[in-house]
This record gives sequence, structure tokens and C-alpha cells, in this order.
Amino acid sequence: MPANYKDILSHLSTEIDQETLLLYLQGKLSEDKKHEVEKHILQDDFEDDAVDGLQEFKDKEQLQYMVEMLNRDLKKKTAKKKKLREKMKYKDQPWLYISLLILILLIVISYIVIHRMLKG
Amino acid sequence: MKADQFNHITDQELLQRFYADHDNEWLGVLLQRYTLLLLGVSMKYLKNEEEAKDSVQQIFLKVIQELQKYKVEYFKSWLYMVAKNHCLMRIREKQGKITAEISDRLAAKPEEESDRLTLLQNDHTLDLMEAALKELNPEQQQCVTLFYLQKKSYQEVGDETGYSMLQVKSYIQNGKRNLKILIEKKSAEEMNRK
Repeated sequence: MPANYKDILSHLSTEIDQETLLLYLQGKLSEDKKHEVEKHILQDDFEDDAVDGLQEFKDKEQLQYMVEMLNRDLKKKTAKKKKLREKMKYKDQPWLYISLLILILLIVISYIVIHRMLKG
Repeated sequence: MKADQFNHITDQELLQRFYADHDNEWLGVLLQRYTLLLLGVSMKYLKNEEEAKDSVQQIFLKVIQELQKYKVEYFKSWLYMVAKNHCLMRIREKQGKITAEISDRLAAKPEEESDRLTLLQNDHTLDLMEAALKELNPEQQQCVTLFYLQKKSYQEVGDETGYSMLQVKSYIQNGKRNLKILIEKKSAEEMNRK
């Protein structure tokens, strides 16, 4: 009984990372590796659709660059929101402003007192 | 945040971290894992490189907005559904038809493993498969055998059989589906006989 029969029903292969998928699309994998990637793709509709689409790109070498650009843009989008939220955090902390105000008042009062003592 | 440093963290854990502190950077790390797949799915439906890139950016935005509103359990299948819906909307918009988005945030649960494992553990199923394989049409039988049993790549199967890569893929996919149907049918027949 060929053990490989199990592969037809199995759905337990590990995830394939983007780097391996790119190498597959660029035809840079060995036949064994290609088979592994294809076996995995057959089990996942998302990846199957994606590979169909990626095969349609004229220049596969450009794919990595496109992904990097899209990731850079994504990073900007997610980082901007964080900064905004951090700014909002300060607004939510009135004690910080009160403490600062008290400190400034103390400095002014100390200055006036010292100034008067020196005059006297 | 460098995406690489989170390689060991699962999608589910990244989502949990986002739900805990609502830091969008977790979503950035998570979505970066799927940029290439989203680009591929967008290209498959939209058939245009520039439109596909725009589509990925819009899907990112949509995901970031949607995840603020509700919790998602199976991120990968949910993301696939969001991507497909988005592309279909774009196609319909281009065709000038009135569109209505199919809203289904309860994405399908990934295919259940337990049933498959029960099948796999059963040696008898493998006997049934051997018989079922012989009932496939010659093209499917040839491609499934070369791919699964002899572990050849699409290219090698194509070289050996003379079929195109698309034909090879289609024969394997259909062959695999037919095999499962045949096994289920044979199992049911045996159960009835007993």
C-alpha cells in the first residue's frame, strides 16, 4: 500500500512563506521543492487563487519589489494611527498639565520670595 | 516594529495582541504576511497590475477598519473572503451595475481536520482509494498518480504527459475531488450492505 496515498487526503502540510512562494514563481526551486509547494497550494483555495493571479504578472522579478512597496505603505498607515493615539493619550492625562502648572507656580513664588528677601 | 521578529507568533496571537491594546502596528505585522497572496488574488480577478496594487492597499484599509469593529476568529479565511468580495465589487463597479456587498464576517472555518484524520487512520480507506483511482478517467488517473504517488512537479507531469501546466493542475484538482467522492460513495455502499 503506497504511503503516498495519504497525501491525497491529507491537509496537514505546513505554511509556505512568501519567500519560498516567490522563488517558486520565479522558477528558482528544485523539482522536489516545486512539488512540495504545489501540493500545499492544492490544499488552500486562497493560495491557489493567489498563485493563479501571480503567474499573470509579466515580470516575476518585480514581485518582491511590489510587495516591499506595499508593505512600506502599510507600515505608514499603521504607524500614523499609533502616533495619533499617543497624542490622544496626553489629552487624557490632565494631571500631567496640573503638575506642570503647579511646578511653574512654585518656581515663580520662590523667585518672588527670594527676590524680596534679597531686597529686605 | 520589525515584522521578522514576530515570525514565531501565530496570526491568532497577533490578533489577540491587537484586541488587547488596539495598536494597529500588530495588524501591520499580520497583514504583511499576506501581501503577496492579496496581490495574487487581486490580479486573478482584476487582470491588471496597477489595479491589483491599488486593490491590495484598499483591502488593507478595509481590514484595519473592520477589525476595529468586531472580532474575527479565522483570520486567513476571513481575509480571503474580504479580498474576493472587494475584487468582485470592483469588477461590478466597472461594469456599472448596482452592487451590494455580501457581508459575512463569520468566515468559514477551515476544513475540519478530524474527519480527514479519521479517514486517514482507516487503512480500509486506502484500499478504497486504490480501487477508486482506477475508476478515474485516464487523464486524471495519470496526473494524480504522477503528482501524488511519484511526487513530480506540475512541470515534470506536463513534460511526461504532454499536457499544459493548466491542464495538469485541473486534472489533479478534479481527480482529487472525484477520488474523495468515489471513496465516500464506496464507504456508504459498504455500510448499506452491512
